Amino acid sequence: MTCDEVRLHLRDYQEGRLRLESHNVVRAHLDGCASCARADTVEQELTRLLEHRLPQHPASLALKRRLAAQWSQPAGRHPWWARWRASLAPALAAAAVVLVAVPVVYYERVASSAAREQGAMADEAVNDHLRLLSSQRPLEVESGGLHQVKPWFGGRLDFAPVVTFEGDADFPLKGGSVGYFRDRKAAVFAYARRLHPISLLVFRADGLAWPSRNLTRIGAVDASVTSERGFNVIVWRRGELGYALVSDVDAGELKTLAARITPAP
Amino acid sequence: MSGLATQALAYVDALHNLARYLTGNDTDAEDLVQETYARALRAERQFTPGTNLKAWLFRILRNTFLSSYRRRRNDPTVGGLDTVGTEAGSPVASDWLLGDVELDRLRKVVADEIESALMTLSEESRTVILLDLEGLTEVEVADVVGCAVGTVKSRLSRARAALRLKLKDYAR
Repeated sequence: MTCDEVRLHLRDYQEGRLRLESHNVVRAHLDGCASCARADTVEQELTRLLEHRLPQHPASLALKRRLAAQWSQPAGRHPWWARWRASLAPALAAAAVVLVAVPVVYYERVASSAAREQGAMADEAVNDHLRLLSSQRPLEVESGGLHQVKPWFGGRLDFAPVVTFEGDADFPLKGGSVGYFRDRKAAVFAYARRLHPISLLVFRADGLAWPSRNLTRIGAVDASVTSERGFNVIVWRRGELGYALVSDVDAGELKTLAARITPAP
Repeated sequence: MSGLATQALAYVDALHNLARYLTGNDTDAEDLVQETYARALRAERQFTPGTNLKAWLFRILRNTFLSSYRRRRNDPTVGGLDTVGTEAGSPVASDWLLGDVELDRLRKVVADEIESALMTLSEESRTVILLDLEGLTEVEVADVVGCAVGTVKSRLSRARAALRLKLKDYAR
């Protein structure tokens, strides 16, 4: 295959849609062609960008209710808008169907969506943590204490990160930087436990599907505690801000830090 | 409610998302989705069981958009600005991002910027990119947009190249 042909097939290659023979040809080409391998990396990054950051525009609940009512009646000779003007009885029947059917239809969808979202949030937190660790300058501001780190974020974010834990002997605050969580900027507070780096990401909470099941009470918040690729992740929401704490320290120690960050009143 | 209706309603979010990116606003997107379901309801018997219902609904939505909304708006710019001139594989289209700095910039593009960049593309480009993201196969995308599978492949490649070019303007 030529470089042009390989690049034309990159999406199929990445999605596993090529036949084995073609897949192997593309892979062999990528192994020997730095330019196409780079193009492969860029394509993957573009896909990741679109999948994680492109805003989604789901239908409103009102539209879903209208459609559920519309589809609850058999197709007839009248156009759909005529059925809206039908008698009160079908409307009431439709409303009943909506009340019963819509929650059932969407319950499982929402539940599975929430589970996916929980995993996706943990995955994003781990990615951000790894991105920070692999950065040449992981800390954009070295810590001389919380009162040096927090003001540094001023003008760099469109929100003020609410963090009061200044670090202590167990979990010293090392510094901070600006990162990204999904489609938004995040304040990153870098703590440590012995030699283990710990990232606390603080970001705007709006527009994210927050886990609502299997939450653990930690300090003043109900948090989602999960593990992803060997990292422990604790995610919670407080007011308008979201928090993601991620590290390879064990879950118990991470919970201890989370409790200090968000102490019970 | 029929089984088909129940299944069809499960795709309302995906349909609305595409409609929103086609029309550019929520009001028209809702109208388009509602009209799509109305047409699907009338054409329910034409659906072949065992085939991809989601792709069938996407096809109705896009045809509805092309036949009514676009004509009604009589807006030539709906077609976007990237329709021609970004040949896949050309140096301009594919090589600008090949440096580390550019790749790093791409990673920092935020949501609003991606949406803005996508909205500058043609309707056709937006459609193939979004359908690809929805997980439709090239055969299904070809069915939705009414062209050959090979054409979908080249259109998708061109569209993504055009998007990368647009994102260059937003990357900081």
